[in-house]
Amino acid sequence: MNLVYQTVGQSIDKKDGRQRLRGEPLFSADLELENALVLKVLRSSKAHAEIESIDSDAASALPGVVQIFTARDIPGRNLMGIINKDQPLLVVDKVRSLGDAVALVAAESETAANAALQAIRVDYRDLPAVFDPQQALTEEAPLIHAEGNLLCRRDIIRGDIHAGFAAAAVIVEQTYQTSFVEHAFLEPDAGAGYVDSDGVLVIHASTQNPHYDRSEVSGVLRLPKERVRIIQAATGGGFGSKLDVNCQGFIGLALYHLQRPVRLVYTREESFLATAKRHPLTITMKSGVDSTGKLTAAKVRILCDTGAYGSYGIAVVSRAAVHALGPYALDNVAIESLGVYTNNPYCGAMRGFGAPQAAFASESQMDLLAAELGMDPLKIRKINALRPGSVTVTGQKLEASVGYLECLEAIEPYYQAAKAEWLPAQVPEYRRRGIGLGGMFYGIGNTGTKNPSTARVVMDQTGQATLYTGCADIGQGSSTVLIQILAETLGLEYENIQMVAADTGRTTSAGATSASRQTYISGNAVLDASKKLAAILCSLGARQLKTAASDLVLRKGQVQDRRDPSRGISLAELAALARKQGIELFGEGRFDPVTTSLDPETGQGDPYATYAFACQLALLSVDVLTGEVRVDKVVAAHDVGRAVHPENVKGQICGGVAMGLGFALMEAFEPGKTESLKDYHIPTCSDMPEVIPLIVESEEPSGPYGAKGVGEPALIPTAPAIANGLALALGERITTLPANLERVLEAGLKAGLFGA
Amino acid sequence: MSGKQYYRPGNLEQCLDFLAENGRESVLLAGGTDVMVDMRAGEIDKSWIVDISRLPELWGIELQNGKLWIGAAVTLTELLNSKLLQEHGFALHTAALHFAARQIRNVATIGGNVAHCSPSADTLPPLLVHEAEALLAGPCARRRIPVGEVAAGTYRSALEPRELIIGFELRPRSPFLADFQKIGRRRELVIARVNMAGLADMDEDQRMTGVRFALGSCTPVPRRFADVEALLEGSRPGRELFWEAGRLAAENMIRMSGRRPSFVYKEKAVQGLVYRMFSPLLEA
Repeated sequence: MNLVYQTVGQSIDKKDGRQRLRGEPLFSADLELENALVLKVLRSSKAHAEIESIDSDAASALPGVVQIFTARDIPGRNLMGIINKDQPLLVVDKVRSLGDAVALVAAESETAANAALQAIRVDYRDLPAVFDPQQALTEEAPLIHAEGNLLCRRDIIRGDIHAGFAAAAVIVEQTYQTSFVEHAFLEPDAGAGYVDSDGVLVIHASTQNPHYDRSEVSGVLRLPKERVRIIQAATGGGFGSKLDVNCQGFIGLALYHLQRPVRLVYTREESFLATAKRHPLTITMKSGVDSTGKLTAAKVRILCDTGAYGSYGIAVVSRAAVHALGPYALDNVAIESLGVYTNNPYCGAMRGFGAPQAAFASESQMDLLAAELGMDPLKIRKINALRPGSVTVTGQKLEASVGYLECLEAIEPYYQAAKAEWLPAQVPEYRRRGIGLGGMFYGIGNTGTKNPSTARVVMDQTGQATLYTGCADIGQGSSTVLIQILAETLGLEYENIQMVAADTGRTTSAGATSASRQTYISGNAVLDASKKLAAILCSLGARQLKTAASDLVLRKGQVQDRRDPSRGISLAELAALARKQGIELFGEGRFDPVTTSLDPETGQGDPYATYAFACQLALLSVDVLTGEVRVDKVVAAHDVGRAVHPENVKGQICGGVAMGLGFALMEAFEPGKTESLKDYHIPTCSDMPEVIPLIVESEEPSGPYGAKGVGEPALIPTAPAIANGLALALGERITTLPANLERVLEAGLKAGLFGA
Repeated sequence: MSGKQYYRPGNLEQCLDFLAENGRESVLLAGGTDVMVDMRAGEIDKSWIVDISRLPELWGIELQNGKLWIGAAVTLTELLNSKLLQEHGFALHTAALHFAARQIRNVATIGGNVAHCSPSADTLPPLLVHEAEALLAGPCARRRIPVGEVAAGTYRSALEPRELIIGFELRPRSPFLADFQKIGRRRELVIARVNMAGLADMDEDQRMTGVRFALGSCTPVPRRFADVEALLEGSRPGRELFWEAGRLAAENMIRMSGRRPSFVYKEKAVQGLVYRMFSPLLEA
């Protein structure tokens, strides 16, 4: 079914794109507030220590210092976390990692605030610390939280792995390691707030989830939710880190006590020190395959270092397990995934929630198995690909929109050409070329839990529509997509649609901008709201046009007879009519994907309503004398269900490849060492390969106009494709990311390639 | 950043007068790409910022009396756009191409890069192989010193507080091989892990002459390696020879700097990079 739509599928001007280009949107640091105080946070210089005392008398007496807050000043629940609450806004009796928040300073100026930070005296008593998650699980390890160092576990048990391995012709086992990764969004965390005339604490913040922020801030302050209003300021990227409450709680606390406007803007250094990182994962994977190339069994152990706090750790542990074996059908599996506390910086959500790390392992395994069998890497992927009717490792039967084979087929001509022409071409003696494939699947939305979205569409008396959504657009383009869905459903010009977004005072919750869920879930909520309004308009139109409502469609700003478009009535007329009759024109929509929770013992269930699929091909060259890697080209095929905005999908893919390339080759945050972008390298334009995005549309019947999502999938296949390309080029596999200069040179040395 | 005063002299004389008085309390600012970073980090305790970016005496790239003159306030972008440099100082031209990123090249100056005394300064290895001299102006006199002597150590200048670099004189050369090589963790906007420059001519007997080699980022200050040059001088290009030259460079590096954790990588990378830099001569 390939319907032609008016707006859906068109790359319309991005909502607020022009304003962005002109530099007009207001970020938290830009908001004008009269006499705003400057907030600064005193952060722990210890990884694990008891706090014996905090002496802020000298600091409080400094000129310009208004007040210094500690945990004692928190009126409500001093624990935060979206899944489990274990992270204090300000520490109570001990610090658990470098960067923990110890005290909050409010001052008249930046200089005064910084002087106060210097003057606060904290007496620490060092505690033994543990930085290795395996050690943290031992009996003698220091306890980071009273309940123990094991945050959570997720097991997935299916079939009989003993029988599966017995049936295998080839078995490979390997351990893979990834690093802490920093999100490195453009805008460091920031927020600003004031108390309005009704006594409501109004907080503008750089955030991915304003409604969660509100519940957390009101909980910390023991205020009714109505007394806190979170408004998303223009947000310069998030990639998962701005799902945590970073600035909002501090701003709330200061507003609560001082009733004066305040602002908190992190420096890049503070953003590096004090916000979540991507979990480093240790993955041991044993995979078996029969002589025909069919996977027979897999045993997986995953260790996720969540650092000092849970944040989104539980979700990462679970998602890493569900996605551990990639987009392949497998009947016999035993997967164990553990989340462990250490005294490292806390780890949370980052684009992909454990799936990028898992894909690095499972896609490396696919190439190892193919090599053992003497089989082409593309072929082994095709043989095992999930397809309609396949059952996943959690026992979920996939019915429709399973586009992995289509992605492989889209890649195939590029793959064959690279193999035949590019790979054998003459290069300098010290260079080696490689090509590699990376596949992935990705469940859209939260894992086996409720995650609804709501929306409201209102039409005024002139026929103008306004969309109210809690959905935070952090640059990824959700506002544009939601407007397209509304415009399509109501037959409106998208330019005329007004939007109110991500303001807890005016919109209802759309849930988090995470898990690649906004197009699918909030898109469906907007679709539902729009359809309800459309039904009202059609019934009004039916009376005017003296025809059945079922014969009417909304098109070009009119309600029209579907058989005779000349018989129509404009929405403006209908809206005026509705007003006369006292009918309010609005639709309220809601969508919660159909999922089941995973069985706590076996991990069986239907955790997601739909999955995105993708395959990427990387072409690269390696200098074996220096370890330098040049990725020349990435071909990226993504099944997005339907591309509501194709250019935006391509943008997401190119951005994902950039982030995936950094993850693959250079990004590693070293706790206690890495300070800022000066010593943390992310790719520049010059490091980017040519990217060829290929959009595959395997329509999702439950998606809005068939759409799924692409935000995280864009990144996931890149690192495995590069790792597999490197393995082919070097004849030696790198199992620790990033594959930096040192590791690549060492692999070349091992392979005997270093020499004249 | 509070409590600092800014002064911008209109010419060299004014500048020198000011420094004669306040040299010890002054930090010189040309492009600012290092000064601003240090200032933000609170690492500058001087009370005066003296802006020398507009002293005409520090401008220009010219051939004078058989020398290639490069003013200290010449930006990296100006180096990159210079035909004279392309012809007579190709290794430095190549270094300019690999220097930081465009925004930084537009303001950063060659004088600043040398005066900052970073062991990784990208302009140093090419200046060394061109046997450049730094021209210094002070309150009483001008003097010239080999460019390798500007740094007394890592991030430590040998200049008097009342002195400044006004420019450099290079020995112009357009040899058969003139190159600059750099390894970084990414392709742009990166501090070199290893950088180096080399020059070599070929005589009619296919032997290398006028060989110059300098290595950066591996020793406290970048420097020429005489025994690497001696090994290559008068020899015919060969794989084993270049491989041995690389090994010798790495050995020198370790001897001068001691064993460091980073040398597990650098020992190999220096050897590999030397080989790569000279390898075009194999086809000569």
